[in-house]
Amino acid sequence: METESRKEALHYFFDKVVGPLGFKFTPDVGLRDFLLEQEVMLEGKHGIPFCPCQPLRHDRARDMQIVCPCIPYHRKHFDAIKRCWCGLFVHKDVVDPDSLPQLSPKDVGLE
Amino acid sequence: MSDKFKPAISAGEIAPGGMKKVELEGHEIVICNCDGAYYAIQRRCGHMNAPLELGTLDGKFVTCAMHCAQFDVTTGQALSGPVPADVGNESPPPRLAAFLQHVATLMKDVRTESLRTYETKVKAGWVHVAT
Repeated sequence: METESRKEALHYFFDKVVGPLGFKFTPDVGLRDFLLEQEVMLEGKHGIPFCPCQPLRHDRARDMQIVCPCIPYHRKHFDAIKRCWCGLFVHKDVVDPDSLPQLSPKDVGLE
Repeated sequence: MSDKFKPAISAGEIAPGGMKKVELEGHEIVICNCDGAYYAIQRRCGHMNAPLELGTLDGKFVTCAMHCAQFDVTTGQALSGPVPADVGNESPPPRLAAFLQHVATLMKDVRTESLRTYETKVKAGWVHVAT
């Protein structure tokens, strides 16, 4: 498989999913390309584009909750920090993704 | 010199986002309507030969209905292999487990190949395909 073509396809499919959820791809193109590339590699290894920033637990039910885009499974958390855990997706109103810290659920009072 | 393009299907027969199989001079072909642009690919999935017209076309990407392998219909390029099946957390009965193990051994070396593509053009309301 050719990485750039797969990145393009993932971008196409993810964009359709995250838009209705109020998210968009990060405007940081370098970060976007890097994370998509990691997902292509994970998909090559596991057959599924898992989140590159969360650990696999080898428990299917839990691992399915980190298939990108995993926003629906972490909605309250990601809405609170206006980004997904990786930062691949940010709220549609975000123009400066670097201003959004990667806060845990505990940090934002969700645990 | 004879025209290498042969009429395959009336353009109106495939709605945007749709696919239709045709057989042309011995070739099994699927014609895809990508928002008004027509592309022709081999009918058989590059993974395990399933008929691709039973899958889904989204933009220029076709997903096979059998194991969800994906391809770019404009180039035929294989984009992803099969998605792993959910076999659940419970252990299957021994005979089924042995069968699944056998299948997994066979599947390990199955590669997802890119698809053959065919040139197309629309002429007088018909999609013509060069075989």
